[in-house]
Amino acid sequence: MSYIINYRVALPHYRISDKVLHPRLGRKGQHAICYTDEDIITLAHQAAENLGESVDAVLFATTTPIFKDRYHASYLADLLGLGEGILALDFGTTARAGTDALLMADTLVKSGGTYNNVLVVASDVYYPGIGKETKAPFGHGAVAIIVSSNEGIAEITQAKSYSSSLSEEFKYKGSDTQYDPRFTRTEGFKKNLGLVLKQEEIDPSTIDQVFLNSPYAKIGFGQLKKAGFDLENKLADDQVTVDVGHMGAAHGLSVLTQMMKGTEGTIALFDYLNGTNYIELKTKEIDTSASASKSEPIESYQDYLQLRKQGKFTGKGYQNIDMFSSEMISEREKDTLIHLVGRKCESCGTVYYLKAARCNSCKGSDFKEVQLAKEGAVYSVTSEYYFPNSFGPTNMVVIDLDGGGRITVQQTDDMFPTEDNKIQIGDRVGLVFRKMMENDRKPNYFWKCKRK
Amino acid sequence: MMHKKKNIAIIGLGVTKFGELFNQSYDDLVQDAALQATQDAGIGLDEIQAGWLSTAFPEIGVFKGRSGMDLVEPLNLYGIPVTRVSNFCASGADSIRNAANALAAGECDVAMALGVEKLRDRAPQDSIVKMMVELSHPFYQKGFTAAGTFAIYAKRIMHEFGVTNEDIAGVSVKNHYHGTLNDKAHHRIACSLEQVLKSPMVADPLTVMDSCPTTDGAACVIMVRGEDVDKAKHNPIYIDGVGLSVSTGWDLPFFDPKHDFLSFQATKDAAKMAYGQAGITKPLDEIDLVEVHDCFSIVELLTYEDLGLCNAGEAKDMIRGKSTQLGGEIPVNVSGGLLSCGHPVGATGVRMVVEVANQLRGNGGDRQVGGAKRGITHNIGGPGAIASVIVLNKEN
Repeated sequence: MSYIINYRVALPHYRISDKVLHPRLGRKGQHAICYTDEDIITLAHQAAENLGESVDAVLFATTTPIFKDRYHASYLADLLGLGEGILALDFGTTARAGTDALLMADTLVKSGGTYNNVLVVASDVYYPGIGKETKAPFGHGAVAIIVSSNEGIAEITQAKSYSSSLSEEFKYKGSDTQYDPRFTRTEGFKKNLGLVLKQEEIDPSTIDQVFLNSPYAKIGFGQLKKAGFDLENKLADDQVTVDVGHMGAAHGLSVLTQMMKGTEGTIALFDYLNGTNYIELKTKEIDTSASASKSEPIESYQDYLQLRKQGKFTGKGYQNIDMFSSEMISEREKDTLIHLVGRKCESCGTVYYLKAARCNSCKGSDFKEVQLAKEGAVYSVTSEYYFPNSFGPTNMVVIDLDGGGRITVQQTDDMFPTEDNKIQIGDRVGLVFRKMMENDRKPNYFWKCKRK
Repeated sequence: MMHKKKNIAIIGLGVTKFGELFNQSYDDLVQDAALQATQDAGIGLDEIQAGWLSTAFPEIGVFKGRSGMDLVEPLNLYGIPVTRVSNFCASGADSIRNAANALAAGECDVAMALGVEKLRDRAPQDSIVKMMVELSHPFYQKGFTAAGTFAIYAKRIMHEFGVTNEDIAGVSVKNHYHGTLNDKAHHRIACSLEQVLKSPMVADPLTVMDSCPTTDGAACVIMVRGEDVDKAKHNPIYIDGVGLSVSTGWDLPFFDPKHDFLSFQATKDAAKMAYGQAGITKPLDEIDLVEVHDCFSIVELLTYEDLGLCNAGEAKDMIRGKSTQLGGEIPVNVSGGLLSCGHPVGATGVRMVVEVANQLRGNGGDRQVGGAKRGITHNIGGPGAIASVIVLNKEN
């Protein structure tokens, strides 16, 4: 038996609406869009951080090219402090990579014994071409799910996969498809879906909510109806696409979490691209855990273009600066830099973020390691205009962390600085994991802060 | 720790024009300052027995100032010991401290301390900030500028002590007024409170007019032991006390929960040493003028308290009451300070000693502090990490 025992969806703070992207089309959707310092790793970290204890495996799904920079499961496992003994696997290439990973997690847990808690993370950051936003309902975000042998929110009752070798509407850059693209839809998608639906274990009459995740979903509806699915009443609304856009490899899992929230009973998800994954869940009760995070709209196309451009860190402020990054420093200091391990003076109790031979308060020399909190209060703050970030001054914030320790970091998600939203002394802030400036070689991840 | 008065006299003073000296090289500045100082002391270059050269940022010039060699070469001083001193903004004062110690130890009889910095061969925004970001730790305080680090102090002081933007700007107004009286200053423009407050923000709450300019310049002193002073030939000024202390780190103030950002411990520690040697117990009564390190106007405000010129939280009253203006109870930065003179980092500490010594000699000109007998200089470097205090006296 395998269960989903916990999950979290991580979305960027900013949204751009269809009204801004293509005002004449009358669409009412929104797209979650990364800030300059976010990428699939920071989103994946945000989704998976402290989600489950004693994780045995990390399965990371994305269609953002794996091995580019540091975007892979092993790096994520390291960031999450899961150690080197962890099974870390990458799933990519197709938009069903998210459910691929979930399927594998289910298989690992059901194999019995070795894998009792498997962390599945799907994260995608995809941009359509400038001016071509209508072509792809993009949205950035990540979903993390813990699949466990312990009972939890929902039992995974079925997880099956059928493969299809047809090349969808894949095009080489700059070339047009030479054949009728409907071929892959009818011969690939419909045929493949048909194979799944033939399965005796699938009993449409027991399904309380169903969703078909595919760019061609509509042409599959006839088959689902024919197979006995009550689409009039049981088809789930894809609120994810409306609220945050299509999340790529994370989309199927994102809709799945949404269905889990609203349903007590049986949930079925068909996830198709180059094959079909069928996932069936039985939820015990309606999940009422909070999920909404605060967001802020980007109200002009100009700002959106600027955000995309600045996301490459080529803004004026950084233009001449080649950030020094060092694999050695990142590796040897990761306990401090990534895991926020501080040191508490054994004699006077003062907590330090940085290592020193002696306590600066009582001169004691015995320290024990402590985990620093990720929340605290602002002790002092300034805005650096001489070293601006992409949209305004770089705000440097000195924070006294709850439970001791002080850290000084930059503020983030500060695209629209105003006098009113400026961080002030005494404000409550939380640390978030973001990318520092990067050079061409290696992104540097560190903590920044946001007002609570 | 024992801090003994060292019985050292300064007999030669030299300072170049400070500013954007596009037509003068590092070597030109060294020669200008050194020759002024030896001429003032009435000695030839050959009489110099040891030298200390302070340059803080050779990387921004053409790698000039990396070692003592760069003092020897332009002056043809081959064959004597010369050491480069690098201690952030306290570099210049530290070169004088080292020269004083060597004289006191009998290692040499005539010493030269020369500070020089050539910063304007590059665009300012292409220099120190860029270097700090490129070469510093990839994560900590990335993008923190000097203005930003002191702005962090300013914000906290405003929060705790009710210091206002006007109080901070008042320092700039005062020092820019003093600067109009100094023909060697980089900027000789008086400004109003409104002009300071309305000038572009550098790091909240510090504006451009609260920040010292990026400047080229050099200054030099010739020093001997007290007993070697020839009263007929020299016009000596004596060193009553020298203190230097490293009291925080580069990162630690920003990662130390006990650091209150309300004062500079380094200044307090250095002042304690220097005052101890000089026998000063009531600074306000025993000192006639002060040159402090006003790299940003807030630093001058804090330093009043750290030097014991007033109690904690009272610095704003000294500015409001104009007691540190020329003609006031204790004039501070009558030279115009770093805000007017500019801040060629390695030269600044030496420039201040030249200024105070000139005042004590009675050669202050339009900005002469009447009846000045004892004065001090103060530097602070890094994020408030390193400070120096030198007490100068007309009498030994």
